[in-house]
Amino acid sequence: MNSLRSRLLLIGAALAASVFALFPRSAVERVKRGDDFVLDTVRRVPLKYGLDLSGGMHLALEIDESKGAVADKKEALDRALKTVRNRIDQFGVAEPVVQRVGDDRIIVELPGIDDQQRAQDVVQQSAFLQFQITDESNALDRALPRLDAAIRARRLDVASAAGPGATAQPAAKAASPLGNLLTADTTRKADSAAAKGDSGKAAVAATDSAPKADANGPFTKLVQKGQIPGQYLVKETDVPTLQRWLGDTALTALLPPGKVVRFGADTLSAGPGQVYRYLYVLDARPIITGEYLTDARPNNNPLEGGYVVEFELNAEGGRRFRSETGKHIRDNMAVVLDDRVITAPTINSAIGRNGQITLGGGGLQQAQDLALVLKAGALPVPLKVAEIRSIGASLGQDSIGKGIVAFVIAIGLVVAIMVGYYRFSGMLAVASLTLYLVFTLACLAAFGATLTLPGLAGLVLGVGIAVDANVLIFERIREELDQARSVRLAIDEGFKHAMSAIVDTSVATILSGAVLYQYGTGPVRGFAVTLVVGVACSLFTAIFVTRTLYLLWLDRTGGTKPLSI
Amino acid sequence: MLRIFHNTRYDFIKWWKVAAIATAAFIAIGLASFAWTGGLNKSIEFTGGTQVQLAFRQAPDAGAIRDALQKGGLPGAEVQRFGAATDFVVRAQDEAAVAQQGAGGSAVADKVRQALDGAFGRDAYTVTGTAAVSARVGDELTRNAIIAMALGSLAILAYLAFRFEWRFGVAAVVATFHDILVTMAFIKLMHLEVSLTVVAAILTLLGYSMNDTIIIFDRVRENLKGAAGRTSLRDVLNKSINDTLPRSIMTHATTLAASLALLLFAGEVIRPFAWVMVFGIFVATFSSIYVAGPILLWIELKFPRTAAAAPRTAPAGTPARAAR
Repeated sequence: MNSLRSRLLLIGAALAASVFALFPRSAVERVKRGDDFVLDTVRRVPLKYGLDLSGGMHLALEIDESKGAVADKKEALDRALKTVRNRIDQFGVAEPVVQRVGDDRIIVELPGIDDQQRAQDVVQQSAFLQFQITDESNALDRALPRLDAAIRARRLDVASAAGPGATAQPAAKAASPLGNLLTADTTRKADSAAAKGDSGKAAVAATDSAPKADANGPFTKLVQKGQIPGQYLVKETDVPTLQRWLGDTALTALLPPGKVVRFGADTLSAGPGQVYRYLYVLDARPIITGEYLTDARPNNNPLEGGYVVEFELNAEGGRRFRSETGKHIRDNMAVVLDDRVITAPTINSAIGRNGQITLGGGGLQQAQDLALVLKAGALPVPLKVAEIRSIGASLGQDSIGKGIVAFVIAIGLVVAIMVGYYRFSGMLAVASLTLYLVFTLACLAAFGATLTLPGLAGLVLGVGIAVDANVLIFERIREELDQARSVRLAIDEGFKHAMSAIVDTSVATILSGAVLYQYGTGPVRGFAVTLVVGVACSLFTAIFVTRTLYLLWLDRTGGTKPLSI
Repeated sequence: MLRIFHNTRYDFIKWWKVAAIATAAFIAIGLASFAWTGGLNKSIEFTGGTQVQLAFRQAPDAGAIRDALQKGGLPGAEVQRFGAATDFVVRAQDEAAVAQQGAGGSAVADKVRQALDGAFGRDAYTVTGTAAVSARVGDELTRNAIIAMALGSLAILAYLAFRFEWRFGVAAVVATFHDILVTMAFIKLMHLEVSLTVVAAILTLLGYSMNDTIIIFDRVRENLKGAAGRTSLRDVLNKSINDTLPRSIMTHATTLAASLALLLFAGEVIRPFAWVMVFGIFVATFSSIYVAGPILLWIELKFPRTAAAAPRTAPAGTPARAAR
């Protein structure tokens, strides 16, 4: 009797603890309201959904060594991790995961993110900010003949003829509409885009030993002069070709010394099918870099509409910036982020600690993201994405819905089989099965385990397997009853004999679950956790709870009634 | 008391030869299929590559998607319907596609989107999920999956050797190898895609099959104590299988019910997992009776436990004798 009471007390306590663990509670978390993330208090069941159920994105980042080896990878990765974490914290995601795995990989998990590209940009962007003065000396024009010659000599243009070669003719023609479009603001420049071929180059060719640069030179014909010094226009379809050439070391050597060539970040459209991108020739030495930056925030552009990002430099940066910009008044300063020119405004007066970057296009979100990455700091090494998994929130919802349907049907079938076959004892098994589910979910919540789709499948499967222990016990009790034992003795002996099989099978399952956990990732880990927790709970409910229910029944009936099993 | 298969006396072991031939034939067909059409259909998690899940507004023609991707520079991409007529999955895991990902994980996914934007228009579909895995990560996962299977089997072997006798452990592990082979053949013949989830299902199946074997062996251990050398191991084995038959039927019924619920109602993502589990329930039953049992008898014949306990003359029809 006493033992029965303490058994019931223990089960009651476990149940209370489980209900407490599963009780919807308030949590302060970031939730999406409209377009913004705000901190808010929500009430929810404290079960963590994996990315495959909640929707979201999983990224594995590795150091990108394609542009040069990194000496101390581990140290570089640690610094990169800090930067990525800073950015993610400001990005606004509920319960993000940013962690290092092994020596060479960063894992980022962003639940509930639907804008994949944006999230990837925020994480991956190097955010290396430079301010560089655009070239005033027409250095590229002088280099064009030798570039053309080198390309012809190495027949690089022939190789590309199969692809973008078809654009060669139209590109030359396209010069006129674009020329018209641009001449309005470029009149102060001697060379308009259309006149470039003849006037600009003839003089240059005379001083250069290279063959005369004609407008049909493979490099020359792809670039047209823009509005400001050092700025050129390239058809968007030709950008890959140029990028390939500019990446060629033999050709890079022919570029003007002390200068760098960078593409613009945005494209501009001059009518249907006429998309252009700016190409800039810049002084290689930046007047200042983003390392002096202390703050950045988005703001409205009061003059032209759109958005700007205002930034603030530290004292030393401010000093340098003032003296450098003071030397370059009336020149154009390119704002270069990750080797792409965002904008190239004219310097009207010396700039001190506070400056701003005007964004060409893009909305508030782009301004916010730029401010965010600038503030969080540049990545010390370039990162590349080794693995992406993104699951739309709707797919996750769908999976949960279907999982629940399967779950309910599985339970219904198992209950029907058990009650149909074992009658009263079957009902006891169903009662302990119910407790099994509550305990399993509570353990998952308490351990902060993540419920994934395979985990949900493990739970459904677990319902089928969890009754195994009960079946083993019931069959043993039946055997004992066949030997004409009393009901009380048959129950005792049944449990005793079934015990070894139950323990051995449970341990074997837990062993394989532990191995799965150790070597699995993401969703499979979720499965392993549900499996192990499920087996442990089914051990407890089958051996302890079902036994207690029998004892309770014996206590009520005094062991005189025949057992329905 | 409702009872099924109560107090049966089937001579299960008698049919071991038929069973052996059947399972060997199944494995042989599977292996032949490997030789004929190449290895398993591995998911991008193992090969590296990109997978894009798409939900179209109106059911498109799979051929049109294929054409669009081919024009978009992804000739190796596979297009497959995924559940509903509007849902498709694009897999680009040929070498060319994996190489393209060197630059960045989303390179191929972007290409897929561009190609479809061109062919169907931006509003005709939504991307419900993407996954891109680099070849290196894929190699690592393959290695981990193999390590997981090997370590899992070893851990169980060690545990059984500790709890039972070594011979039980060996028989159980041989049964496990049989299960792996048969399941591989099944996956191959069903053209299931081997993903991490399927590996998890295989491991669950192994555990489940091991459970079955353990429960029969547990009975054998108990019946051997009672028999004390009076009956042959073969008879003890048969009796143990019959003793545990009601339990086997009941547990398989409930597990099968749960697995079928998963197979039919839990959606496309979990279906390969459910297939492996449904198959696994039959494999588990089969191997615990017809693989683990005969192997145990064979070990017994080669290495009798003790002079007293060993049967003096092997009874007629013992597997080992019949095999000679």
